[in-house]
Amino acid sequence: MRHMKNLNKTTKDNLITYGMVIAAYIIVEILLKAGVISSLLQGLLVPLCVYVVLAISLNLVVGISGELSLGHAGFMCVGAFAGAFFSNSVKDVITAGEVRIFLALLVGAAAAAVFGLLIGIPVLRLRGDYLAIVTLAFGEIIKNVVNVFYVGIDGSGLHISMKDKASMGLAADGNVIINGPQGITGTPKDSTFTIGILLILVTLFVVLNLINSRDGRAIKSIRDNRIAAESVGLNITKYKLMAFAVSASLAGAAGVLYAHNLASLQASKFSFNTSILVLVFVVLGGIGNIRGSIIAAVVLTLLPELLRALNDYRMLIYAVVLIAMMLFTSSPAGMAFRERFSLKRLRERTNEKEEAQ
Amino acid sequence: MALLEVKNLGISFGGLRAVDDFNLEIRKGQLYGLIGPNGAGKTTVFNMLTGVYKPTDGKIVLDGMDITGKSNIEINKSGIARTFQNIRLFSGLSVLDNVKVGLHNQKEYTYSALTGILRLPGYFRAEKEMDARALEILKVFELDAEADCLASNLPYGKQRKLEIARALATNPKLLLLDEPAAGMNPNETQELMDTISFVRDEFHMTILLIEHDMKLVAGICEKLTVLNFGQVLAYGDTSEVLKNPEVITAYLGE
Repeated sequence: MRHMKNLNKTTKDNLITYGMVIAAYIIVEILLKAGVISSLLQGLLVPLCVYVVLAISLNLVVGISGELSLGHAGFMCVGAFAGAFFSNSVKDVITAGEVRIFLALLVGAAAAAVFGLLIGIPVLRLRGDYLAIVTLAFGEIIKNVVNVFYVGIDGSGLHISMKDKASMGLAADGNVIINGPQGITGTPKDSTFTIGILLILVTLFVVLNLINSRDGRAIKSIRDNRIAAESVGLNITKYKLMAFAVSASLAGAAGVLYAHNLASLQASKFSFNTSILVLVFVVLGGIGNIRGSIIAAVVLTLLPELLRALNDYRMLIYAVVLIAMMLFTSSPAGMAFRERFSLKRLRERTNEKEEAQ
Repeated sequence: MALLEVKNLGISFGGLRAVDDFNLEIRKGQLYGLIGPNGAGKTTVFNMLTGVYKPTDGKIVLDGMDITGKSNIEINKSGIARTFQNIRLFSGLSVLDNVKVGLHNQKEYTYSALTGILRLPGYFRAEKEMDARALEILKVFELDAEADCLASNLPYGKQRKLEIARALATNPKLLLLDEPAAGMNPNETQELMDTISFVRDEFHMTILLIEHDMKLVAGICEKLTVLNFGQVLAYGDTSEVLKNPEVITAYLGE
């Protein structure tokens, strides 16, 4: 049965992706035990996981659903603040870090999913450039709103203000949790590399399974031909929204991981630049290529740090690498090169030779 | 009773009356042709029947149900499927997946997104049944060997067939084919004629098609309606319509 082979090929491909992540984890753990990894690199492990999750989730919108979204940092921001707020509120009640961050991840993902839905409903009526511009604007709006948010807790309950700290009317024994532009401080540092890897695996599981299911097919068919998709009775809005909300919630989870790795968290960290950075991962990893997103996120996060020794030439080399990756993944010549030297092709050629003999 | 009844259908785009007072009656199992010169309004009629355009006036009744003014998604669900003049496949999906998208809304293959993400047993059962059904449909069009190919890699004639296969997968009562033979060579056209007749017999399908290839039209259509400048010029049995002097002057040529 040919299609069974096809099914197995997708499954095999996905297993390779999972395997890659797990192998990377094992190698890093061994190196950590051996004490070979510098403290600088150790500090990068959690951010790496954050960026990988972000890249995978953005690829769901950009690659699979085919809509350019430039507001991904906004959803990350929602998740980060929701998760950090949760952990700060319960840090005296729940003392086990693993349990706390697990719950915080759920809270952050749910909050970001709600925002994804709320923003998606009006925004997904637009297409192409217009959609990109509006998502960019929403990303900035989220950032700026969170930036003027003051939330505190005292004996009488929750106090919220969007003006300043004093206007919250907090009692003397009250505790300021979100302090406007200064953000949240004192979030427990619950993020670990292991949790990060687990989050990557969960993200992969959700995204890959969604792509290879009935709903994923619908999402891809709308990307390929909207009019034809309508003609076979697909509800366009529903599936666009599904991809957008799932992607937002995963970005929210990445935000939670990010927030629990920092002593203080400010909204200004989730700027337009972060959205673009993640988009660069997705584009250079290959649009619609989940494994590529992972690799690009890792390489392009590590690179500037590894090149730190080169001082002034650092960003120059970074730029050259970006261009080289772009040529390799997307130019016709690069694709032909990969085609010729891919493992699959080499194997086929050996088989042909054997058959000829 | 007629499967499709169209009464006094008309549409205006601003001041332009594209289709006016269009009437059509198709009985179950009929192979009906809609012909006419370029710009006569044939595709506009298709677009009104499938809900892409909302008719300005008139009524469309499918199998006793008034579907006038419904959205194209609802109309597909009520039983009209179509193909397009310029092929519209899901080019990034495999041939098999194109047909499986066609099966999307059928109750027996439906499962929730959560079932799909968590890979619950319902996912495997539905996907297996979908694969089997999709391959069955592909076999009719002799496309089963290419099930794994990307749709965009198929040769032109097969892409046309795949579009019909996908439309059939939505389990329609009425199939609309918009110039199915456009761009095909005589051999491919002949093969397509056989396939269309076969589909009609095998699936007990009612088919309405737009076509310029008179050999195909004369060969398989039982009834014809001729459109000219948005109005019905003639209708009736194929052989009679094709002999109609007005039709010959307006469209066929001496």
